Amino acid sequence: MQQFAALLRKDSRPVRYLVVDDSVFARKNLIKMIEMFGGEVAGEAGDGLTAIAEYNRTKPDIVLMDITMPQMEGIEAVERIVRQHAEARIVMVSSVGYQENILAALQKGAKHFVQKPVKPEVLYEILRYVLSDDPTAAGAPVALAGEHRS
Amino acid sequence: MSLFPEDRNSELRALFFESANELLQSLNEAGLDLEANPTDEEVIRRVRRAVHTLKGDSAACGFHKLSELAHELEDVLSPQIGLSVGSRLADIVLIAADNFGAMLSAYQRNAEPPSADSLRVMMRTLIHGSAASVPTAPAVSGIAAQFHWTEYEHLMISEAVHRGETVYNVALRVDPASLMHAAAFQLIRNVLHACGTLIALRPEDNSAAETLEIVEAALASNQSQEHIAQRCRIPSVVSDVRIERAATPDTAEHELLGELLEVQATTVASRPTSAAANADAAKATGSAAITIAESSLRVDAARIDAVMNLVGELIIGKSMLHRSLTEFDQRHARDPVRAKLSDALAFQSRVLDELHKCVLKIRMVPVEQLFRRFPRLVRDVAKQCGKDVALELSGQNTDLDKGILDALAEPLMHLVRNAVDHGVEDAEQRIAANKPARGTVYLNAYHQGTQVVIEVRDDGRGIDLVQIRQHAVEKGIVKAAEIQRLTDSEVMNLIFEPGFSTAAEITEVSGRGVGMDVVRTVIDNLKGTVHVSSVKGRGTTIQLRMPLTLASIQTLLFRVGGRLFAVPLSSVVEITRITDSEIHRVDQREVLRLREQILTLVRLDSLSQIHAVVVQDGKKKKRNFVIVIGAAEKRFGLVVDSLVGEEELVIKALPTEIISSDLVSGASILGDGTVVLILNVPAVLSRLSRATPLGAIA
Repeated sequence: MQQFAALLRKDSRPVRYLVVDDSVFARKNLIKMIEMFGGEVAGEAGDGLTAIAEYNRTKPDIVLMDITMPQMEGIEAVERIVRQHAEARIVMVSSVGYQENILAALQKGAKHFVQKPVKPEVLYEILRYVLSDDPTAAGAPVALAGEHRS
Repeated sequence: MSLFPEDRNSELRALFFESANELLQSLNEAGLDLEANPTDEEVIRRVRRAVHTLKGDSAACGFHKLSELAHELEDVLSPQIGLSVGSRLADIVLIAADNFGAMLSAYQRNAEPPSADSLRVMMRTLIHGSAASVPTAPAVSGIAAQFHWTEYEHLMISEAVHRGETVYNVALRVDPASLMHAAAFQLIRNVLHACGTLIALRPEDNSAAETLEIVEAALASNQSQEHIAQRCRIPSVVSDVRIERAATPDTAEHELLGELLEVQATTVASRPTSAAANADAAKATGSAAITIAESSLRVDAARIDAVMNLVGELIIGKSMLHRSLTEFDQRHARDPVRAKLSDALAFQSRVLDELHKCVLKIRMVPVEQLFRRFPRLVRDVAKQCGKDVALELSGQNTDLDKGILDALAEPLMHLVRNAVDHGVEDAEQRIAANKPARGTVYLNAYHQGTQVVIEVRDDGRGIDLVQIRQHAVEKGIVKAAEIQRLTDSEVMNLIFEPGFSTAAEITEVSGRGVGMDVVRTVIDNLKGTVHVSSVKGRGTTIQLRMPLTLASIQTLLFRVGGRLFAVPLSSVVEITRITDSEIHRVDQREVLRLREQILTLVRLDSLSQIHAVVVQDGKKKKRNFVIVIGAAEKRFGLVVDSLVGEEELVIKALPTEIISSDLVSGASILGDGTVVLILNVPAVLSRLSRATPLGAIA
C-alpha cells in the first residue's frame, strides 16, 4: 500500500472528515483512504439531509460528498451547508457522467471535485490543496509529519 | 515598408488606417450578428468580405503580418465551419477583430505588431477539430498565452492599476488527463474569483469547454504573486501555471478614449486611390460594409469652425444693416432707393440663412457614429458579469453637432456600463421578479425642440432611494438631518455629487465607482442637463439633453430692470400679460393661476439677488408680462418688464471669469452693439427648486 505523509490541521491535530455517500462500500473505501492520510472520520451520512445534520453536529474540516443520493441530492446539500457555513470545505465525489451536477455544485460553493473511481494519490493532492486555502497562513499550511500514519 | 511613392505615402497610409478601422467596425458588427445566427451563410460571407478587403489593403501597404493573419482567418470562414462549430466561430471573429485592432495600432505607432499565436491556435483547433496538431509556441513556462484583452478590458485593467491594485495576467493549462473540462473550468473560475477581482477571462464561458486547453485571465488582486500561483496549481485540474504582472497599458484611459474617438471620427471611408491598393479592394466591391464615397472630403474641424464664426459675424452684420435701414426709413420715407435697399437686404438675408444652415449641417453627424460601438461593449460587459443583456438602439439617424458627439462618448460609455453592470439583475433575480431572464438596455436619441435627447434606459432593478439616502449621509454629502427633507428626485440627483462613489454596489466583476459626477461635468460643459428617473424594480432611465449645436440659437429678447436678456425660443411655451392682483403668494413664493393651473413665478432680479430691492420697490408696475417657460416637463413663469422681440443670436463664448453666474449660458451682440445675456433655463430651474420649500414645484 502507498504511504502518505499525514495531512494535519494547522494545530497539528488530525483533519476531521464527514463522508457522505449512499453506498456503504463507497464510504468504507473513502474512509480507508482518509485513515491512510492520517485523518479522522467525524461522521458519515447516506443522504443529503443526514449530511446537513451531521455537518451541524460535527463541524468537520472536510466534507466528501457524493452527487446522487436518495432524499436530498448532493448539490442541494452543498447549497444548504454553504449557506449556513460559508467556510465549509466540500469536495464532490462523482463519476464523469455527472459533470453537469459537479458544475452546479461548484457554482453553489463546493471547493473541488474528484472523479470516481477515486485514486488515493489524486484525492490526497486535492485534499492538500483544499486544506491550504487559508490566505493568511504562510507557505504550506499543512504539516507533513510522517510518523502520524495510522 | 510600402509600395506607395514617397510623396503620397503618409496620406495613403492615413487613408488605409481610416478604412481599416471602418472595416474592423463592420467586422465587429458582423461578428455579433454571427454570434446570434452562427449558421447564417450571408453573415459569414459578410465577415469574409471584410476580412478579404482588409487582407488586400494591408498587403498593399506592406503590413504583411496583418495580411497573413487575415488570410488565415479567411480560410477558416466557410459556411461548413459555421454549421459544425456554431457560435465558436463568432468568438474567433471577435477575437480576430481585436487582434487586427492591436496590430493596426502597432503599425500606426510604427511598432512591431503583437503576435496572434493564441488566435492561430484557436483557428487551427477549429479546422482540425482537435488540439493534437497544434504546435505550441515557445513561451516562458510552456504556455502560449497571449493575454489579448478587448479595449474595454484594457480600460478596466488600467482603472484597477490607477486605483493602486496589482493586475496579473494568469494563464493556466487544463490538465489533459482531466475528463471533466467544464467542471475544471468552473473550478478555475472559482479559484480566480477567490484570489481577487476577475477583470477578463478567456474563454469567457464554458460553452466550448470540452476542447479547452488554456484558460487566460486578467486578475486584479492584493494577494502576492506566489500565493496566487499556489492557489492556481489546482491538483488534477491544472497542469501548468504562468503568472505575470500585467504591463500597465501604455495608453492611459483617456488616450484610449482618444483613440476611440479617432476611430469614430472617420465618417466615411475614402478608399485608397492608388492602383496597388485598389486592385485587391476592387475585387471585394459589393461589400455591404463599405460605401465607396469618392465625393466625400475630410476637412480639419478648425476650418469649419472658422467658417462658422464668420457666418456668425455676418448675421450680426445683417442685423446692423437692418437697423440702419429702419433708421433710413424714418428719415427718408419717400426715397425710391429705400425699396431697392430693402429688396437687396431681404435677398441677402435669405442667402445668409441658407448659408448658416449649410454650415451647421457640415458639423452635424448622425448619432449612429457614437452608438455603433455599444453592441460590442454591452456584449463584453454582460459576459463579464455573467448576465444576458440585449442592447436596443433607436434614433441612430438623429443628427448632432460633432463636437458634442465626441464629448459624449465617455459619459455614455460609463452610463451604458453602469446600466449593464449595476442596473440589470442576474437572471435568477429577474425571473423571481417576473421579468424575462434577458435584460435589455435601450439607447435612444431624438430631437426635442432645439435639443437633442439621448436616453440610456434599462429594465433592471432601479435605483434604491433608501440606499442612496443612507450612502449620502455616510459619505457626508448631506447631513443626516437634511436628508429626509429632500424630495425623491433630489435624492436621485445625489448620485451625481462628487465623492458619491458607487462603491457599495460594486459587483465582483467590473465597473466600480465610475464617478457619475464626471458624467454631469461633461454634460454641464455642453450646456446640457442630466435627468435620472427610476422605478424600483422596473428600471432606470438617464436622459442627457444637449443643445443641437453650440453655435447659434433662436431667442426671445426681453427686458428686466433695464437690462436686455434672451431665452431660447424653443423653451418658450407662451406669453401672457398679468396685473399684480393676479399674483398670489403660496409658501413665500409667487404663483399665478393660469387656466386652472398653478404656475410658479420667477423674477430674475430676485434670483440674482442684486437688484431685488431696487426693482421690486422702485418700479411698482401694475402690468407685467409673463413668459411661460417649459423645460424637462417643468414649467415656470418669468416676470419681465417688457418684450423686445425675436432674434437669432450667435452665441459668443465668454470666459468664465466674466460670467460668474451659471444662470447665464452665454452672451451675444446685437446689430447696434448691445450686449444680450442668454438665460440658462435648466440652471434657473435648478436654482428654483433648490430655493424652494419642499414640494412647491410640481
